[in-house]
Amino acid sequence: MRDRDVFGADAHRYLDGEPFGELSGAEFAAADRLVAEAREYAQRLGNLDPALDEAVMAAVRDRVPSRQHGRLDWLLAPRTVRVRPVWAAVLAVAAALVVWFAPRASVPAGQGAPSVRTATDTVFVRFELAAPQARSVSVAGSFNGWRVGALTMSRTAGGVWSATVALPVGEHRYEFVVDSTQWVPDPTAHAQVDDGFGGRNSVIVVGPKGLVRS
Amino acid sequence: MIHELGSVQPSDGTIVHRVLAGDVEQYRVLVERYRAEFGRYAIAAVGDRDAAQDAMQEAFIRAFDALATCREPDRFGAWFFRILTNQCRNVVARRRDTVPVEDLDPPGADRTDLGLERGELGAALEAALARLTPEQREAFVMKHVDGRSYEEMAELLGVGVDALKMRVHRARDAMRSMMGALR
Repeated sequence: MRDRDVFGADAHRYLDGEPFGELSGAEFAAADRLVAEAREYAQRLGNLDPALDEAVMAAVRDRVPSRQHGRLDWLLAPRTVRVRPVWAAVLAVAAALVVWFAPRASVPAGQGAPSVRTATDTVFVRFELAAPQARSVSVAGSFNGWRVGALTMSRTAGGVWSATVALPVGEHRYEFVVDSTQWVPDPTAHAQVDDGFGGRNSVIVVGPKGLVRS
Repeated sequence: MIHELGSVQPSDGTIVHRVLAGDVEQYRVLVERYRAEFGRYAIAAVGDRDAAQDAMQEAFIRAFDALATCREPDRFGAWFFRILTNQCRNVVARRRDTVPVEDLDPPGADRTDLGLERGELGAALEAALARLTPEQREAFVMKHVDGRSYEEMAELLGVGVDALKMRVHRARDAMRSMMGALR
């Protein structure tokens, strides 16, 4: 490469929009020509066809984002659940965040889903969150496919939102979704885990005979 | 508490959460947003509109499949750009593997990929671009075709500003030499 075919340091500073020293007329002309050609080229490029948007959506519509794959795999995997005997005390301190009920008292016979579980492996759990300013709150978690709105909460006195759901024995992860947009971990959960993309998921452990740890 | 207002678009992070929660149609917002943002880059990077369309489509599908690995959903754009960059490099590499070097954008040959006529302003630049290294080409395109700042480029590429300046400087020198030879 011949010297006259490359830009000097001041020409590069000029092209970078930085303070520069003396430049010859030829250097100015070469630099300006390069910029002008790049601009012209950019205008001629235009952009990609918006039809691409639908092509992408048609391709992904039948797929499941990997987060749901992971959660389902995790939920279906065999695991040992450990339940601390002091769970009741934890719940009390946590302002009655989670309350369990005997399933047979709440589920009329014959109304369960096809995969209805026995009384010993399904527990009704009540979630609560104090959010007086919220317009809506729901619970999204591993037990409902992380779908926003799948488990909506009802507002009670004092701005406390609550919802009850039957959970199978095992460990579950969840977050509250405030106003359909803001994902909030349970501030009183005994454990929070990395959700894999910058946030934290709360953990609840449902044991046999209705033992719950949250 | 954050509420969405009528004229305010939801953030990338909000949309990523919605998609992962099962609202797949929300992904279209990200596709529209970043097809427009990075489309010109993709065309320039691979030098062919159809190939760029394919690279962009494949990048969006790969990003969807790997969405849970996007650790900073509010920076989806930068994360996606790296996927797109890899796709574009793959396209160029495949083409180089299958097309004899002497057939790759020979100087003086007519270029019709982008609808440009030989002799038009910008055509010499296009031919010279095809001969840069992938790193130099993407740096030059981002700086002078997309008009991005070095700081923005550093954010998107995950490369330091000084290193990017060096790439752009070398690209300019190579472009000047090649374009001079073409005239």
